[in-house]
Amino acid sequence: MSFFGFDTNLPRDRDRGPAASRGFFENPDPFADIARATAVEDDGIDFEDTYDGLGDQLDDDQDAFNDDTFGGGGNAGAGAGAGTSVGRDFDFFGRTAEVSNAIDEEQMRYALQNPQAARAPPAAPQETYVPAQHAAEPTIKRTGYEKYSDPGYIPDLQAKSSVWGIAQEKREPSPAMIPTMPAASRKMMSLEEVEAQMRNRGQAFGPETTQSIPQTMPDMSFPRHPQGLPMLPDGFPANIPPEILRAHLEKGGLPPHLAHMADPRAMYGSPGPMMPGQPLQQFDQNNRPPRDLPSQDPRHAGPPPVQRQHVPPPPSRGPNGGLPVITNTEQLIHLTEEQRNAYLMEDAKRAKRNHKIFLLSRGNGLMTPQDKNFITRIQLQQLVAAAGNVVDADPEAVLAEDFYYQVYSQIRGAPRQHPHQPLGHFAQTYLLQTGNRISGHGNRRAFHSADNHMQRMQQQVQRAVEAAKAKPKNKQLIIEGSLGKISFSNAKAPKHMLNIKRPDSSEGIRPKKVQSNLSIGDRKSLLGNIEAVYNALMSMEDMERTMPPPPEEGDTEAIQEHLEWRQKVQSLNQKLWQALKVMEPIVPNSTTPHPFIAFLSYPKGKKAIPRIFRHIDQEQRVTILTMIVVHLDTLDVVHLAQASGPNDSQLPVAVREAIDLFSLAVMPSLLGYVNEAAFNIIIGLLGLVIAQTQVLAVARTKIGLGILTMLLSRAEIIKEAGQASERDWQQWVEKFNVLFDMLEPSLVHIFPGSINSGDDMYVWQFLAAVGIGASPEQQQRLVIAVKDRVMETVSYSKSLPADMSSQRLGNVNLFMRAIGLDVDLLG
Amino acid sequence: MLFFSFFKTLTNQTVTIELKNDIRIRGILKSVDQYLNIKLDDVEVLELDKYPHLSSVKNMFIRGSVVRYVMLPRSEVDVGLLEDATRREAANQAGKAR
Amino acid sequence: MERLSLNDNPGNAQQQRNPQQQQQFQQQNALGPGGPQPTPGPPQLPPQMFTTAAQLLDLTDKKLVLVLRDGRKLIGVLRSWDQFANLVLQDTIERIYAGKLYADVPRGIFIVRGENVLLLGEVDLDREDDIPSTVTKASFEEVYELKKKEDDQRKSSDKKRNTELQALGFEPEHSGEILF
Repeated sequence: MSFFGFDTNLPRDRDRGPAASRGFFENPDPFADIARATAVEDDGIDFEDTYDGLGDQLDDDQDAFNDDTFGGGGNAGAGAGAGTSVGRDFDFFGRTAEVSNAIDEEQMRYALQNPQAARAPPAAPQETYVPAQHAAEPTIKRTGYEKYSDPGYIPDLQAKSSVWGIAQEKREPSPAMIPTMPAASRKMMSLEEVEAQMRNRGQAFGPETTQSIPQTMPDMSFPRHPQGLPMLPDGFPANIPPEILRAHLEKGGLPPHLAHMADPRAMYGSPGPMMPGQPLQQFDQNNRPPRDLPSQDPRHAGPPPVQRQHVPPPPSRGPNGGLPVITNTEQLIHLTEEQRNAYLMEDAKRAKRNHKIFLLSRGNGLMTPQDKNFITRIQLQQLVAAAGNVVDADPEAVLAEDFYYQVYSQIRGAPRQHPHQPLGHFAQTYLLQTGNRISGHGNRRAFHSADNHMQRMQQQVQRAVEAAKAKPKNKQLIIEGSLGKISFSNAKAPKHMLNIKRPDSSEGIRPKKVQSNLSIGDRKSLLGNIEAVYNALMSMEDMERTMPPPPEEGDTEAIQEHLEWRQKVQSLNQKLWQALKVMEPIVPNSTTPHPFIAFLSYPKGKKAIPRIFRHIDQEQRVTILTMIVVHLDTLDVVHLAQASGPNDSQLPVAVREAIDLFSLAVMPSLLGYVNEAAFNIIIGLLGLVIAQTQVLAVARTKIGLGILTMLLSRAEIIKEAGQASERDWQQWVEKFNVLFDMLEPSLVHIFPGSINSGDDMYVWQFLAAVGIGASPEQQQRLVIAVKDRVMETVSYSKSLPADMSSQRLGNVNLFMRAIGLDVDLLG
Repeated sequence: MLFFSFFKTLTNQTVTIELKNDIRIRGILKSVDQYLNIKLDDVEVLELDKYPHLSSVKNMFIRGSVVRYVMLPRSEVDVGLLEDATRREAANQAGKAR
Repeated sequence: MERLSLNDNPGNAQQQRNPQQQQQFQQQNALGPGGPQPTPGPPQLPPQMFTTAAQLLDLTDKKLVLVLRDGRKLIGVLRSWDQFANLVLQDTIERIYAGKLYADVPRGIFIVRGENVLLLGEVDLDREDDIPSTVTKASFEEVYELKKKEDDQRKSSDKKRNTELQALGFEPEHSGEILF
């Protein structure tokens, strides 16, 4: 035996046993399962059959057996029973590593029991030519890679609290070590006792069959294979005569290590370098400090009772593991040449891969789950620290740092992680903008537990964050003797990659002007204005979220709070209003557009309108609407949208996009206001259109007609509702007549391009709005003016597919019905 | 943290990453971290002939500092929201600098 | 992925030792707190998913090809790492490419400082032996000589390029190193 736990067996001795023994620490009671093991015959051992639930019996409250575990009692390792006194301050790491192995085991076991959590292990391709039988193969193959197939896998991550600088009153044994302690219910037996027990139980069994199967390693049932082949790689065709395989492999030119595997003798018979058990052992010895191994002397132990364990296990399985179908050469002979080749190739490939995995797995678990956990925690802490103020568990801070992700995941319908964050509001803001719909809100339960999780995390990191904050924030630091500069550039203050020094003499290459006759300076200041608007908007949106609850009567403090809040909102409103520059004086015949109209010429400006409208009052809304109406013909979507000829209907893409955006973003807000506006306002606006703008130009655009339609239809609704006074109505009719007379000669030209160009619905809408308000005489003039277009459209739609046809006719009919006609009358 | 926040929303999207040494890799974005390191699954290296060392690679961890471009699906980006997130980030930075 | 909290769970030790409990524990984790969430759409993912640790987690104990900033290609098994992506590789070989040739040099254990990592790719064990037909294995000496020549050439052309770029105000993307 070896005092330090080294394997003192010579390799030639060692290879006789099933791999080699690893020691008592493998298992708290390595002998406990002997009886069970002997009862199980050659069938592959099911994990569930052999797992004895040792974990259940572990109890860290009782350290009565510490001596046994740590060698103080001297009966654990010493077969001769000598009470060798061993110091206790050794090998903590080794034990920790072993516990991590046990944990790995548990995780894999879990993964195997939960098919959803662990999809088919990657190492089990199951590509055979008799799938039915193969599928019935019960043995679960394990490669150590299974857990990675679970996308959500994180090993059980728990680090010691001491890592976080939390004061520990006394040093307790690390929880990680506890599982190695023997179960309280099992007494450690001396080797003599064990031997006696084995003799009693195992009379009927030969040495091979009495070998114990370690409880934690049930898959490694190969020791009981009749031929005693150890470490058979997964899927390796053990029963194929080596000659066949070798011949095949030589033909296929496989790498030497596989060819090597083809020869069972080479593989198992002699301690060659490729013998799997041996390097494993060596590796483990290298990686683990010496420990008090039990004797491996065959005289004492008989067949080594403890199966050497390494975790994750090698890709091995029962004797029949990879071969449910071919059990002897004859079957192989009966196959066609092709099938046989395919089978052998497949098997060789699998064997090769499994062998690779096996070789890789020798050092698995060097990094324990605790280690990984520890690093994960460090990073989480950094993340929270970077998010700024977490001391008061401030969701605002999270929002500030993670705004896009937080809002985005809510917009796209995900359950939120921080339910108390007033995000719904944001989601709404952007939903309006993107036209997405809110899907479900997730269930409350999920919210709450996630929230607790956040709170807990924040409490815990508070300390760390404060420490991190106290550190100086130098940009760069050169420590004497260090290999280089230590840069403090990070995601928030990245290193500058552009360092352009513009030469003084030449002005450099200026960017080309973008579809505007503005100077760069103007453009820049306009963009600056837009940003000012957005900043004001965002502050207002933030304010909205912090609105105090409505104060109760008599609660002066709350009332005060509320008043202050209102004041703030009011000042922000003013800020927004200033930034919009709606009230800038209108300079007649100016070459530069009004600042607000310029604002609207940018997509960002158009997009801001719905958000602005939610934060301004009616008076401000009507001011904006008036501004737009007065400048209707200078709006980019109007003056750029003038088709130069009746056949030149295709506007530039940028203009069409601008029009679409205006229709989507601005028009609904305007319409929303107009639909509630008083009659006198509508009359005033129509008057402005007639007086201030080139009506014909306006009427030749989608947006212009849209606004006119808006006004005309509102007037009609007011009239229908009987809300219009006689005087108002007279005023309206006057204006309407002026408009009608202006437009009548060019009604043909308000259609976009030729008949087959499609989108003319807005024109028919406009004509319908005109038609309703028109006098019978005007209606007749109207019909005469657009008669040709009506007839053209009707005949054209006959050549269209049914759905398109009915759509076009429907558009026309909108107008026809407004004047009491119907396309059907036209035949 | 704007880019971190942004890339987080692109998990499970197919992106193409161009590195500063011109290698372009397409794959499914599995994760991103605070350094903008990127984990890609099911990778496909464009112009693989030039980079034989990547021929058998199935997934990849890419150091954020060597990324030149990330090409991403337009439909998965909320531009308006991103603009505001950018404004907020700028405001935060200004606030911290003060 | 487990919802990980930063605090120590005092009950955790017991969970580790009690397989049944642990199983339940993990089951909960698998489903996320609060059970399955019926809402469609991308769930808000737990923060630990977005850590370097999470990215390297499933590369641990895998065979990887590591490309360093200086252009070295190392093939080895990732055994350990930290939050900076400092790495420990075992059984490493360095594969040198030059022209249409390559050579392997056994190196052993590597500890790589994270900043030198360019990318880290998991090798598909089934495909790793299918060396592309564009390259053939050669002796180390031969490849090394060829590589030296190539590198010198690239260095000088890079230098020239960077000088020109710098004159225009562009800092070199990678501080003048060969990035390959």
